[in-house]
Amino acid sequence: MPTKDLVTKVWIEPGCIVCDACETTAPTVFEVTDDTCIIRPAALNAEFTKPITQSIIDAAEECPVDVIKFDVAPVEVSEEQAAAMEAAAAAPKPAAVEHAAPATAAAPPAAKAAPTAVPGKTAEPATATAKTAPHAPVSVAGASDPAIAALLRAASSRGGNVMIQKRDESQGMSADAMKRTDPRELPADARQAMLLEAAKKAKDEGMTRRAFMSGAALGIGWVAFGVGTGVAVGPAFGRFMMPNVLEEPDPKVRVGKIQKYLEMQPGEVNEDYKPQGIWIIREEDRIAALSIICTHLGCIPNWLPNDRKFKCPCHGSGYKPNGINFEGPTPRPLERFNVNVEDGIVIVDKSKKYQWELGQWDQPGSFIQT
Amino acid sequence: MEGIKEFINAICRPAPFLVLAIVALGLFLALYRKLTKPAAAAVLGGGFTLFFLLSCLDPNFQKIVAKADNVPIVMMMFAIGYFLWLSFRQAALNDAAIEAGQPLREAGSDDKVLVWPDLVYSEFISLILFTAFLTVWAIVLRAPLEQPADPNVAPNPAKAPWYFLGLQEMLVYFDPWLAGVLLPGLIIVGLVAIPYIDTNPRGNGYYTFKERRFAITMFLAGFVILWVVLIIFGTFLRGPNWNFFGPYEYWDMHKPMALLNTEFHDLFWTGLLGRALPTEGRGPIPAYLIREAPGIALLGAYFILGPLILRVLFFRKLAAKMGLIRYSVMVMLLLVMLLMPIKMVLRWTINLHYIVGITEWSLNV
Repeated sequence: MPTKDLVTKVWIEPGCIVCDACETTAPTVFEVTDDTCIIRPAALNAEFTKPITQSIIDAAEECPVDVIKFDVAPVEVSEEQAAAMEAAAAAPKPAAVEHAAPATAAAPPAAKAAPTAVPGKTAEPATATAKTAPHAPVSVAGASDPAIAALLRAASSRGGNVMIQKRDESQGMSADAMKRTDPRELPADARQAMLLEAAKKAKDEGMTRRAFMSGAALGIGWVAFGVGTGVAVGPAFGRFMMPNVLEEPDPKVRVGKIQKYLEMQPGEVNEDYKPQGIWIIREEDRIAALSIICTHLGCIPNWLPNDRKFKCPCHGSGYKPNGINFEGPTPRPLERFNVNVEDGIVIVDKSKKYQWELGQWDQPGSFIQT
Repeated sequence: MEGIKEFINAICRPAPFLVLAIVALGLFLALYRKLTKPAAAAVLGGGFTLFFLLSCLDPNFQKIVAKADNVPIVMMMFAIGYFLWLSFRQAALNDAAIEAGQPLREAGSDDKVLVWPDLVYSEFISLILFTAFLTVWAIVLRAPLEQPADPNVAPNPAKAPWYFLGLQEMLVYFDPWLAGVLLPGLIIVGLVAIPYIDTNPRGNGYYTFKERRFAITMFLAGFVILWVVLIIFGTFLRGPNWNFFGPYEYWDMHKPMALLNTEFHDLFWTGLLGRALPTEGRGPIPAYLIREAPGIALLGAYFILGPLILRVLFFRKLAAKMGLIRYSVMVMLLLVMLLMPIKMVLRWTINLHYIVGITEWSLNV
């Protein structure tokens, strides 16, 4: 197997002048963008660059600022491939021939083997290879092995056809067509023109001091107007949103004579004043008033006399008859209201509340001692 | 027949139901290629429909599913089954194609359509069909009007609109501000954050499960288990006094339920250490903080050690790929999500009230 120095890695150092030469020479490897040149992602692979070694070398030599760098490594290739590479190295451009010549000389075994790539031809001296090479891709394009054919096409795709075709397209373009085309598809000069035009336009649209000042004045004027209107109208609007009369029942509820509560058994619950939001409960030696609002999320629990518990229908919180929570999600007991007796009548003051978790259930006013 | 009903009632207790739902989802995700084949899917869908129709012979079941409020949820169950099948069927075909090195089903299809007439026509037709459907629905199923509202009486059970039943169910297990504000907020924030957390481009524009196992599994765990299953709980299984009832069970107002709450601080101080709850503060530390210290430590360990343990056990590669911040956000959202079923199961099994119960601050987790 012959050994050849093939490109395994190619990269670009800073300093590209965006001349487009490399993309023209090796369009599958280089992509010239608006401001620099990059290696196409596919070409970051050694297996991709190896077969097109020659076009990469050519592109590097053509580069006017020499920013294209590459690594080469000796690689064993089949004799057919070696021949094809020789052919490509010698082929299309006169300028390339003199660069390619040393390479040819450096690999005599490959050059000698070249004719075997062309079925039916007898072996020829190495010197003849260079002359016949330009025709080799054509004659071998129909090679029986498709892999070899593809390799040859890839090798011969540099320069030549691609370049000519590209120029034809861009020169045939109307100015309109150029504007519609993706800038990346345009040749370098057209792109440069577009950039210049865009820069000029941006400069023209730059703000003058006069325009800025008048704009700012207008903006400040509108903001001042908005704030002024808000200050003038806001309070009136806020007042409008408030009701003129706020109906609130008297927080003091008279819940009847104490006698009937004294007759209750401990643990019993009086539901007569539930519409006013009060349960009157009886403990061993106390009478107290429970709020009917569930301390979990504000539903109204039901008193279940058979189960001897308050049970909330919304999330299942449960309270003992004295209001202490024992099941479900509620975090704390029911709240108690202020109670006192005047002339034998029990009065519940809903504006004062006593919470168990704050230790307020023993405060005077939270219960009536019996 | 009664035996079967008893059995189904038993597995529809919340804990077995949730476990079975998770197992079913796991099985479906593991066997999705086989289960989404048309024949298998037809057997599954037909079997469920048959089960549902037979169940309707039971008066208690019929009363619940035929309630006008609950009809959308019945439709939702079938719709979710259908759409799960539809998407996973296409994912199964695509995954097989990817493995065989063949083009995806979506490859080459140009799904661009013109607004006029294509889009406007189909929108207009959908609009007409849907209006007709809603009209028929409104005529056939009477709006479930109840007695005039009374601020002192709540209907028993008092149920949220069906699409909020998942949130209402969450409120049973957490403090109102957690379940009503923080967790729903985190759901929304988490959904908003998905594009920033999950930057994997796989699956864009084509159905696949194999390439997105973790993401799709997590999504379905959140959507099917923690949203749809909770809606099903709230609709079909929650009865009077917000107690759980089996699907064939009579909704008895006075069903005896032993639900006496257990507090985590009781379990720790009394159960584990065998001593009374601390009632004395120490210096500036109030007594309730000492009382709740074990719960706070447990939750702290869950949220601090959890990410590290998960990272070592499952997410080593994922964490490296995501980077610290993205991984932390993802794993925190995941842990908050997992806290839901953990707390639910604890409530169902040992009646655990709160892990941290600082009533003084209204902080109850």
